[in-house]
Amino acid sequence: MTLALRRVAETLLVLLALSVLTFLLTSLAPGDPAEEILRRGGVQPTAESVAVLRGELGLDRPLFSRYLQWLLGVLRGDFGRSYADRAPVAAEILSRVPATLRLAGTASLIAVGLAVVVSVRAALRPRALDSRIARVATVAVAAVPPYIVGILLISVVAVGMRALPTGGDGSPDAVILPAVTLGLAGTATLLRLLRADLAAVARLPFVKLAVAKGLSARRTVVVHALRAAAPGAITAAGVVLAELLAGAVIVETLFAWPGVGQLAVTAIRQRDIPIVQAYVLLTALATVLVLTLADLCVSVADPRVRR
Amino acid sequence: MDRSRRGTRFPISAGTRGGVRPGARAVAVLGMAVLAALAACGGRGSAGQAEGRLVLAAPRDLAAGPEDPYFTHRTLRVWEPLVTLDDEMRPAPALATGWERSDRGRRWTFTLRGGVRFSDGTPLTAEAVVANIERFRRIAPRPSAFFSLDAGMEAAYGKLAGVRAEAGKVVFTLAEPVADLPARLADFYSMIQAPSAFGPGGDFTGKPVGTGPYMLASWSKGQRVELAANPGYWGGKPAFDRIVVRTIPDANARVAALRAGEVAGLIDKGALLPGQVAAVAADGRFRVTRTPSVLTHYLTFNASRKPFADPRLREAVDLAIDRKAIAGKLLAGTAAPGSPFLSPVFGALSDPGVRSAYDPVGARRLVDAAGRPARPVSILISSSETGQFPYTDIAEVLRTDLEDAGLPARVNVAEATRAVMEAGDYDLFLSAYSVPNGDPDYLFRRFLRSDAAWNRDRNLGYRSDAFDRLIDRAAAAGGADERRELYHRVQRLLADDRPMIPLAYQDNPVVTSTAVTGLAQSPAYLVDLAKLAPSR
Repeated sequence: MTLALRRVAETLLVLLALSVLTFLLTSLAPGDPAEEILRRGGVQPTAESVAVLRGELGLDRPLFSRYLQWLLGVLRGDFGRSYADRAPVAAEILSRVPATLRLAGTASLIAVGLAVVVSVRAALRPRALDSRIARVATVAVAAVPPYIVGILLISVVAVGMRALPTGGDGSPDAVILPAVTLGLAGTATLLRLLRADLAAVARLPFVKLAVAKGLSARRTVVVHALRAAAPGAITAAGVVLAELLAGAVIVETLFAWPGVGQLAVTAIRQRDIPIVQAYVLLTALATVLVLTLADLCVSVADPRVRR
Repeated sequence: MDRSRRGTRFPISAGTRGGVRPGARAVAVLGMAVLAALAACGGRGSAGQAEGRLVLAAPRDLAAGPEDPYFTHRTLRVWEPLVTLDDEMRPAPALATGWERSDRGRRWTFTLRGGVRFSDGTPLTAEAVVANIERFRRIAPRPSAFFSLDAGMEAAYGKLAGVRAEAGKVVFTLAEPVADLPARLADFYSMIQAPSAFGPGGDFTGKPVGTGPYMLASWSKGQRVELAANPGYWGGKPAFDRIVVRTIPDANARVAALRAGEVAGLIDKGALLPGQVAAVAADGRFRVTRTPSVLTHYLTFNASRKPFADPRLREAVDLAIDRKAIAGKLLAGTAAPGSPFLSPVFGALSDPGVRSAYDPVGARRLVDAAGRPARPVSILISSSETGQFPYTDIAEVLRTDLEDAGLPARVNVAEATRAVMEAGDYDLFLSAYSVPNGDPDYLFRRFLRSDAAWNRDRNLGYRSDAFDRLIDRAAAAGGADERRELYHRVQRLLADDRPMIPLAYQDNPVVTSTAVTGLAQSPAYLVDLAKLAPSR
């Protein structure tokens, strides 16, 4: 119980520090939000307009009082309004959360599924041709940025074969290409870890015993070794999922996917500080939640941790 | 025995020898499933154009929501303005069929088109027009995704004393004469919608209610806008019943969607990047339309410090630059070399007498005479502009051109160019400017007049009484000939003083599939969606 409380207190402290940091960084960075917003349509605003808008947005007040007001609002659950289109920030972000969750969820399913299948195969037949190809492919995928993988997938699958849409969220199958792009980036990390763990577990006495007792190799790996290797993999999966949530930014822009990442990119470009602030807080919170969830899963999978 | 021996090396793999290979089978099954799935949904028809329905894409969202002064971009043709601009940026009738000037430009009377109804069925009246103009003035300054409203709206309406309805006509009364009010009002600043569309605060209460050929059917922010033909449109029914405009921000993804047949065209500012045009144009399935735009690439001098406080060195830079190479090669032929300050899209106002020259020898002579600067000059570019135009390459070419002339230079790519310029820490600034309403007064008054914020705060160091007087006279000039002559004099003056020099006039290439005809684009990137039709 005290452990849980400490965890919550730690999380709050991290979030507070993070909010101060983002507020300072976005506010002190050169560039005037009022001018950026007025100039969006390509018209150079007059100094008078910029001054009036600065007043309306409260940008003429001292930094500290602005931060305090923002923080008090957040404590009441009010994240303020977007500088750019005056829409309430919380509603704006919440409306985009489902799309990002769908993308990151599908991507992590692909990442975990692929990692498990390939690593089990590698444990069963480490010298088989497909295991070796998988090994090389993992390194190759890890080395190519998701943007390039995405472009390749678009040009081959969407343009060449016309099998899937190039982007947008217009049909149920539209999630496949962005999820594969994002998932492949996670697979590489996960796969290397899981394969190493499985190899280490395979050398443990209980595995040898299982084999000696005449248990089939498949059963040995899938039921016994995989479960013993799971804790490390689950922790890694948690980290990967958190990375996917945050890393969806590039993939969402490339595939015109209406998620939180795309919103953040636009907001950063326009110096829409309220949105950037909320995005950073939300991503941090999601990361903490996912990692805590991973810890819980580990304790379920591995009785040793519970004590 | 065999098992345990091998087991020390590969304890698990031993049992699979000669037996089933579950992993391999799983991989194979998975692979087959993926291929089967792809094959099943393969052969997707061309979704870009179906019966009566057209799908296009744009780099940005062409709707901006109820808090935006306009809700939708002019291109979507949901609303219409009083006055629009023709291909040469001259004012042309839209909802106003004509206008009359009296009291030497202090009073303008606009006659409205008859028989026009808003999409909710209510008629267009002079009172409705007045309500729209008053709303603009009430909510200004107001940012917009398309065309921000400045405090006072002076750029649009001048010093407006009042606007009222008189016998079915709309009368603007001005405190000071404005010679070109219709041009200033053109498009965005004279948007007319049913007054019932606005709430008491000036925001939209629901969807926009305009008089245009299309109505906003649905909008999914950042994703897609769907338009439906307006059955009561005064100008006749457009060819497509429904038009969808998707937002695809990534340039490569946009062209991919076009190639995949998901969209039948790309429109709006920056639809195709200069580097993409040749490949798309070579594809027989597409028709690229290139029209000159209001965007011009300029080089701005910091003349408030050495070395460019010396006019000889500004002239040297002007002569040293190979504009043909920049426009033809780096901008891939999507731009024309720049000469007069106002590009040809300004029509007669652009002064054809001003010619830029490429003379590296002359440039070198000028540098020798003025003396080489002690330190390299700094060429500033904005990192946000490098995504749309190859500014890093252009800056690199500028650097070599200057060094050939004896001016050592370095390139500085900055995120927030404003801070750098306000600190005065630059010598040359490469940037694109546009004049979306085609009003040269906007450009001169906002950028170069002695009291212009741009000139003063960003250390351009340009002070010229002659220039200030000329642009003030041109703004109040009554006759078109007088105004043209004054703007030509302004451009000749700028060609000598060189506070900013035009490098290239940018086109805006847009594209449709050959199955669609009628794509035309104004210099301000406006497309008339109602003119699009299926090819026969």
